[in-house]
Amino acid sequence: MGEKRPRKRKEHRNLMKSTRRDFIKNMAVGGGTIFLLGNLGLLQLSCKRLGLEGKNGTFSMIVVDYSKCTGCRTCETVCSAYNHKQKVNGKVLPGLGNPFYSNISVYSFNPDVDIPTVCAMCPDNPCIEACPVLPDTKTGRKALYRDDKTSAIKNDLSRCTGCGSCAEACSARGVGVIVPNPATNQPERMCTLCDGDPQCVKYCPYGALSLVEVKPDGEFYRMPPDIIAEELAKRWYTI
Amino acid sequence: MKNKIPGYHGGLLDINLTTGKVCKTAISSEDTEKFIGGRGLGMKILWDRLKEPGINPMSPENPLVFMSGPFSGFPIPSASRTCVVTKSPCTSPLHSCHAFASTVSYSNMGGFLGPEIRFAGYDGIVITGKAASPVYIVIDDDKVEIRDAKKYWGMETDAFDRQFIEELGDRRFRTCYIGPAGENLVSYSCIIHTAARAAGRGPGCVMGAKNLKAIALKGSKMPGIADHERFVARIEKTRKYFKGISTGTLLTMFWKNDGMAKFLEKNSENGVLTVKNFREGTFLKADKIGAAAAKQKIWIRSSACYCCPLACKRGGVVKKGPYAGIVHDGPEYETGTMFGANLLVSDLGGLMKAVFDGDNYGLDIISTGNVIGFLMESYEKGYIDEDFLDGIDLKWGNVDAILKIIEKIARREGIGDLASKGVKAVSQKIGKDSEKFAIHVKGLELAAWNVHAYPAKGISYATSNRGACHHNGEDIDQQNFYAMVDSLGICTFATDHGRRKKPGLDKDDFADLLTAITDVEWTGDELMKAGERVFNLEKMFNYREGFRREDDKLPERFFEEPLTVGSEKGAVLNRKAFNKMLDQYYEKRDWDPKTTKPKKSKLEELGLSFALGSV
Repeated sequence: MGEKRPRKRKEHRNLMKSTRRDFIKNMAVGGGTIFLLGNLGLLQLSCKRLGLEGKNGTFSMIVVDYSKCTGCRTCETVCSAYNHKQKVNGKVLPGLGNPFYSNISVYSFNPDVDIPTVCAMCPDNPCIEACPVLPDTKTGRKALYRDDKTSAIKNDLSRCTGCGSCAEACSARGVGVIVPNPATNQPERMCTLCDGDPQCVKYCPYGALSLVEVKPDGEFYRMPPDIIAEELAKRWYTI
Repeated sequence: MKNKIPGYHGGLLDINLTTGKVCKTAISSEDTEKFIGGRGLGMKILWDRLKEPGINPMSPENPLVFMSGPFSGFPIPSASRTCVVTKSPCTSPLHSCHAFASTVSYSNMGGFLGPEIRFAGYDGIVITGKAASPVYIVIDDDKVEIRDAKKYWGMETDAFDRQFIEELGDRRFRTCYIGPAGENLVSYSCIIHTAARAAGRGPGCVMGAKNLKAIALKGSKMPGIADHERFVARIEKTRKYFKGISTGTLLTMFWKNDGMAKFLEKNSENGVLTVKNFREGTFLKADKIGAAAAKQKIWIRSSACYCCPLACKRGGVVKKGPYAGIVHDGPEYETGTMFGANLLVSDLGGLMKAVFDGDNYGLDIISTGNVIGFLMESYEKGYIDEDFLDGIDLKWGNVDAILKIIEKIARREGIGDLASKGVKAVSQKIGKDSEKFAIHVKGLELAAWNVHAYPAKGISYATSNRGACHHNGEDIDQQNFYAMVDSLGICTFATDHGRRKKPGLDKDDFADLLTAITDVEWTGDELMKAGERVFNLEKMFNYREGFRREDDKLPERFFEEPLTVGSEKGAVLNRKAFNKMLDQYYEKRDWDPKTTKPKKSKLEELGLSFALGSV
């Protein structure tokens, strides 16, 4: 980790320096969430407590520049490989990258629009709110909770009853990324932010994904992929 | 019924549409080691199932084989390809004792299908039989359903693509389908995927003959792997390689900037573009339909196939003129040339409309553009009149007339019925000396690379096992290389094309990856040998059908009518020199130069002794 951070910072700084205008412009064309391009904002993974308690109401999430995404689904494979590691001959290795298990999903539409879809980190926590498991007296956590460090949604498998309420809430009020496991019905596909080094951002061959600090009032924020696709198709292909 | 072969599921999904029977058939490790997958293993399956020559490609017996390769499904950059193998509905030999003699057909397509076949738990899908009425197939892991498709029959591909996924109710399904052209059995119809990608050069016709409108599939599985640790390291290395060259001006930047359309102007300058039914190699208005014009007027975005860092596909919208509002891919090199330069169309909007229509009907745009070019020339020369063309004034560059003919071909109405059979059939009907400018090899139309000034491409077309194919390779090594790449499931655009000087992955990179995936220690040379094996088995298939040296023949035009404009003005193929090149080709292949029959010793060396008794 110590080695990785400086390189990542440099990349992001370049992005700000040379293409900050383009970046904002593309966002305006391609949609996405409004950015706070402060000195710290774009660069760092927020370690703040999440939600409305955060500074200026911001939090970190994976944001898509739809105008750069080509729909290649590399993000799905690296997400799956990192978050579903395998033990092989006693060694823990990245998985083979089966996109079925990815937390980020690229939905493709006709006319040609590709919408990578990932947990929106909703500040009002519809999934956690819906979780019927009583908060732990010590930690205050339900089965579903925010990770202190990354603010990602996590599930305590030992306490989760597999009732499916979170998935319902996610699809009704969030983006609809939570999918119940076919066997246990426990929620899956919540973005983990890969412990602060999101693999999708790192490996996207087109620079379409960024980890940024956002304010939850961007125009496509929390919208389901089909609505975004419809709007983008209108913007791109209507004359 | 599955075999445990690392890197493979070890099984095919076998669907008989006559009986509705669905089962899994095992594949042997001997076959995967010899034929790899994709085009090669598909050929072996075709060989095993068609035990004799002369079987009608439109008959229920002809299997339609959708193949993935051992790279498919793994996140190897550019490992996105699907290969559709079947007996060709397009080709025919000059002489054969078999009424329905035709070559093998292998169609390589990008997109997401090949990987999804593997996610669903199979190495390939084999479709035989014929449904009593139109059907589509839904594959969701082990669950396979054959459903009624009557309401979709007749639907064009763009509308179908949108409606079908809605009915399936899950956008994770990957679909492929035919349009009206395939349903109406136009010989050169395509199987379309994502509304614009195509398995071209004929398989759509075979799918139509099976009454099969579409296949949808998704899955959750992945094959096991031999050396996980090594594989993870190799993937990382491969990704780094592409990242490295993308910062320079090399491979990836080339694709990222202009995609295939880049070649339009470049080839025009070099005199190797297909222009005016292959009469010329330079199109003076190439700049009007080239990459720069498209970038300015049409393109909105780039698209990539599964895990591909190149993104050669461009799409956008026509913003002005009579065809304003057309949203589609392209033009890229083949479509832009065959419907553009070849028909002297310089109206970019009109060209986009033609490309959209071609895909929308599910036609092969290479063959369609070739056939229309031939009709235009025949019309100009007075071999046919307006009556022959149902009253259509088919002059060079007339977009409206072109659009009318495209629709007639897809619907097989009037002149379209004849034209749907390919340029060879149209020329036979028109007669006179029209065969001199009917530009095909073995009945399959030549593509967008002209050969007056490019003898190596001539060899490529003449010796290709599926008829005039522009992806065949220009010499033996490159042909074997491409056959190997098509068998792995990776895209040739990501390779060094078998030429060590070019950027891109080479045979040793592939051997490295395949060794990690399978439990076989591969070397680059062994992979090349496998490519040679595939090429020779295809050849034996064609030889058994009755194809001989006389069929490896280029149209007269290239030997008799020199180019009159451009940098290669005056260029023409020298017949004697070309025949000598062919002689050398057969000798180096270890084939009999008189008949093109592979020698017994060659077949034995390649482990193809089983094919010896067939002829």
